[in-house]
Amino acid sequence: MVSLEMLKEHETVRTAPVSEAEALVDVRGLSLWYGKKQALYDISVRFPRNQVTAIIGPSGCGKSTLLRSLNRMNDLVPGVRVEGEVLYEGVNIYDPRVDPVAVRRHIGMVFQKPNPFPKTIFENVAFGLRLMGVKGSELEDRVVEALKRAALWNEVQDRFKKESGLRLSGGQQQRLCIARAIAVEPPLLLMDEPTSALDPIATQAIEDLIQELKTRYTVVIVTHNMQQAARVSDRTLFMHLGVLVEEGPTEVLFTKPKHPYTEAYITGRFG
Amino acid sequence: MNRTLSSPSPEAFGTDPWKTRIDRTFARALVLPLVLAIGLLVLLLGDTLYRSVSVQVVRADEGPGRTYPFGLAATEVLRQELLARGYTEEEARSLLQDPTERRVLFLQNRVELMWNTQEGPFRYVVTGLRDERVADFSLLEGLRRWEELKAGLGEGERLVLNPWLDQSFLTRTPSRSPLTAGIGVAIWGTIWVLSLALLIAIPVGIGTAILLEEYLREGTLNRILEVNLRNLAGVPSIVYGLLGLAIFVREMGLGPTILSAALTLGLLGIPVIVVTARESLRAVPESLRQAAFALGATRRQVVFRVVVPAALPGMVTGVILSAARLIGEAAPLLLVGAAAYVPFYPTGPLSEYTVIPVQIYLWVSMNIPEFARVAAAGILVMLLVLSGLYFLALYLRNRFRREW
Repeated sequence: MVSLEMLKEHETVRTAPVSEAEALVDVRGLSLWYGKKQALYDISVRFPRNQVTAIIGPSGCGKSTLLRSLNRMNDLVPGVRVEGEVLYEGVNIYDPRVDPVAVRRHIGMVFQKPNPFPKTIFENVAFGLRLMGVKGSELEDRVVEALKRAALWNEVQDRFKKESGLRLSGGQQQRLCIARAIAVEPPLLLMDEPTSALDPIATQAIEDLIQELKTRYTVVIVTHNMQQAARVSDRTLFMHLGVLVEEGPTEVLFTKPKHPYTEAYITGRFG
Repeated sequence: MNRTLSSPSPEAFGTDPWKTRIDRTFARALVLPLVLAIGLLVLLLGDTLYRSVSVQVVRADEGPGRTYPFGLAATEVLRQELLARGYTEEEARSLLQDPTERRVLFLQNRVELMWNTQEGPFRYVVTGLRDERVADFSLLEGLRRWEELKAGLGEGERLVLNPWLDQSFLTRTPSRSPLTAGIGVAIWGTIWVLSLALLIAIPVGIGTAILLEEYLREGTLNRILEVNLRNLAGVPSIVYGLLGLAIFVREMGLGPTILSAALTLGLLGIPVIVVTARESLRAVPESLRQAAFALGATRRQVVFRVVVPAALPGMVTGVILSAARLIGEAAPLLLVGAAAYVPFYPTGPLSEYTVIPVQIYLWVSMNIPEFARVAAAGILVMLLVLSGLYFLALYLRNRFRREW
């Protein structure tokens, strides 16, 4: 019922757009191809500081692709091609002079399935810090700090130096991955469906954590769970077939969607 | 149609006795090869063990052919033997104190612990180079005729129950006489050749695996190499021997030395190490690499801080299994010059050498029947070393087992 041609004719519907000053990340006319297949079509959107922005949409709509182009993780996919700009603090991260490795050190990422390294809890969190050359007591302090901020400290404080990260439960593993990502204090934290592999109680813990994290970090979260987007986010982006259909404050997008496709999706008529 | 479920019985589900029976028969038939294999192995091991023990009557070249009580030091046994051969106290002491004379004495005489002798169980005998075998019986026959043999002992003759695999066998040099032959030189040759070969094969093999698996992930070169490596791992080892003979021994002029043997075995080991290391690198989940990249690691940091440590147990197991294969290789080493008779220990990469399987091969082809006993003892040494390596591999695999 929704064809790409019909979607491309529409401008993105924007409610209460984010001003340039508020934005930490400013995506301008981003298009992306995997080989010959185009995955993103001319996407322009701003992600405001210290807020949670959710990206929703049906499977294969390009949510994760958009997220991964914010920290150049897509560069690792063979045959990928990007056009347009992603300004991070005013700097285009796709500028040829920018080192993608350095970009990723500024931007944390949490994946769909918990993926702790087969090392101790301490070494997991210390990984990013060690890459930055942090050593000794500072390293230890920052690891503990990150575990506390990820609400994992109370559960692991007596064993975090000995026990493997793989021995934790799924929800704890995901919080460990969050601790690992925030240990290097990245201003921006990307989350790619962080609760899709977790049970409801672990999901609740992660969602509470996201609320706390936004006081210090800017969060972009991809989710296929609309209730979750409504619960945790301040702004929401709705994507379909690689096109950004509508964006706006979460309560507006979920209560008074302006684009017919958005309405159809959030009322469950397709997806 | 008056079937009801009012009286449920197991048959209500329906049975098919024939299918069940075929299933069971099939499952049993699958066990058969396993039973056969284990049976054959036990038979082989038992036979080798049996052949490595014999009852002998030996005529001593000098001296009365007497035995010495268990618990004495080897030097003390030799001193008493010298006295028994007619040396004076003075002469014996000076011979044993002079290091050169002492070494010659130990080369010419083998101090062995026998399980049983005409003078009682567990006693030492001293076997000289020119001692002569009078008779050699298999274990059962020898024990049956023990008393008869004991009664028939002549002057200077001794009757012993000889375990050929004993401490002095492990430390002795080869000899033309089976009574004094030992496997010590071959053990050291094996240690030298194997460690040098692994020193070559491990860095090259692991490095190639990392390059192919982590850097050139998809590409024509990778696919071509993949096929070729698997084929190389299956090439008969004698072909590597020919290559080693042509290149290392002749072309590079290394001659029949430990170094050329190690280079040949190194080549032989590389494909196996590459294939197993690649498998274990491939088993590391992609999500771990993604996580490390997302934390701002460079490709080198991802490979050496995350992927290789995670793949290490598999790599180590692969190396050990490949080492176990290399230890047993005789064919290529016969070509590149493992010598038949090396009476001295290797001193460096350029010395002559022999290795355990080559030594066993040579013993088996000797025409003195007792060399079969020596060969059986050598095979046991080989099996012990091999099972040691397999247990090490097993231990490492369990020690580092991970769940992803």
